[in-house]
Amino acid sequence: MKWWPSVVSLEFRKILVFRTEFWVTFLGQALVQLVIARSLWTAIFEEQKVTEMNGFTLPMLTLYYVIVPIGSRILTGENIGFISREIYEGTFTRYLLYPLSWFQYKTLTYVSYSLFYALQLMVFFLGYKFFLSGGISFSEFGNLLLGLGLFLVSSLVYLMMSMAVELLALWADNIWSLMVMLRFFSNFLGGALIPLAFFPERAQVILSYTPFPNLVSLPARTIMGLTSPEEIFRGLVVVAFWAVVLSFVVNFLWKRGQKNYSGVGI
Amino acid sequence: MIKVTGLRKTFTSHKKEPGLKGSLKALVFRENVVKEALKSLNLEIQQGEIVGLIGANGAGKTTLVKILAGIVHPTSGEATVLGYKPWERSNEYRKQMCLIMGQKNQVWWDLPALDSFLLLKEIYEIEDSRYKKNVEFLAETLMVQDHLKTQVRKLSLGERMKIELMAALLHDPKVIFLDEPTIGLDISAQKAVREFMKTYQREKKPITILTSHYMEDIKELCPRIVIIKQGEFVYDGSLNEVQRMLGDEKVLSVTTDDKVFKVNVPRADLAKKTQEILSTNNVLDLNIQDPSIEDIIESIMRFGVGPS
Repeated sequence: MKWWPSVVSLEFRKILVFRTEFWVTFLGQALVQLVIARSLWTAIFEEQKVTEMNGFTLPMLTLYYVIVPIGSRILTGENIGFISREIYEGTFTRYLLYPLSWFQYKTLTYVSYSLFYALQLMVFFLGYKFFLSGGISFSEFGNLLLGLGLFLVSSLVYLMMSMAVELLALWADNIWSLMVMLRFFSNFLGGALIPLAFFPERAQVILSYTPFPNLVSLPARTIMGLTSPEEIFRGLVVVAFWAVVLSFVVNFLWKRGQKNYSGVGI
Repeated sequence: MIKVTGLRKTFTSHKKEPGLKGSLKALVFRENVVKEALKSLNLEIQQGEIVGLIGANGAGKTTLVKILAGIVHPTSGEATVLGYKPWERSNEYRKQMCLIMGQKNQVWWDLPALDSFLLLKEIYEIEDSRYKKNVEFLAETLMVQDHLKTQVRKLSLGERMKIELMAALLHDPKVIFLDEPTIGLDISAQKAVREFMKTYQREKKPITILTSHYMEDIKELCPRIVIIKQGEFVYDGSLNEVQRMLGDEKVLSVTTDDKVFKVNVPRADLAKKTQEILSTNNVLDLNIQDPSIEDIIESIMRFGVGPS
């Protein structure tokens, strides 16, 4: 475990290596998404001639769209295909040669990216509060830290879901479309595209037993101060349950699948 | 010590007919093809030995190396390296071995080599003093002191290969698998890598298995060679012995007005065969030579051990 901090440090160095890419990722993407969301929802509110929709005012929705895109990135950590692409190209071999657990290594690289995006969300949230809302209260700051913690916990569940899909590359070689589907469904059912409050009530009840609402919606609403302690506790229980189930699935797939690995290209 | 007994490996792949029709058909029906990459191999290598593994493309060299390095599981048979089953991938085993692949990068592409080395230092639990000593020794021997702080992707192929060698040897492995380490390198880089491996082998005495298509690598580094043909060993012995095996032959290199060819001829028949060639061809040039090591190995790979 002495190598854990070194892996996180190496990943941070990788994030910082390209200056343009760093600033575009850190500032550009989020600003563009914010401007688009703000313009879109302003138009919708004006068109509908309402001041509130499903419990969300326009400033609340704007804040939601500050939080959610970056929150989704916390959730999805390292790039899509972070295991399957390496299996496909044969570079996965590296983790089989080094005296370490590939599972721990990939979890750490994933978490490194999640931490980077958590920092980004913190900067944007504080910026929004100071420049557009006139400041931040102590309780709002507490909510921010709690929500970031929830995002990081959720990112581990999403990591398990991703690993379960990515390891299928040990049988099918190319599983890119499955990863895209997983990302789409997680964003859609997790409330990243539209808040879950806009979903039919029956769908919301069914979804509450799945990990999806806890991936984006719960942490995002916690940062906004819209969740109760009971709701957070329930969300954590659901997330823990799914994390355990998925860890068994990942372990099973790895034990079976590694015998299929042929280190193509070497 | 490496000990391999009855090692087999089969791979299954699917065949696809060429063209769009073949692609559409393969979406529904696939014909699987089982290829026996290794056929019941037996091998023993002692500590300090360096063995050249030679064979044509697809003969099974890399598959054997992958199994011994623990990347691939065998279909059946046994293998132990330093007493460990490689594919169980115990950390104790992995701390004592390395695999260097001429065509694949293992250090992190976007970072300078020293950044990768720092991580490897932690992964292999190398003490500070040994790490410092090894980095200095390897960088000096490989002459890459000036490249350690440059992004790996910006280095030339030869420099990258040297960095790969450094990364793989930082932890003083007792077993080294070198898979075509000089592929794609220019002549001076090839020579530098070979010289380095000679020095390293002399000083650290690891078990080394080297696969290479460059006979210079084999001639310079490997007193013992193993020739593999279609998954089977067809020769295991000293390089000198290979030369002696066909020492009773001479090679006639003939240039006529319409072709160039070589013929292996027993020494006793040399005069008769030469006369025959001269009388039946319009010979422009004729040379009589001892067979080169390349010719002999090619002959063994094509026809096996025995008279050609």
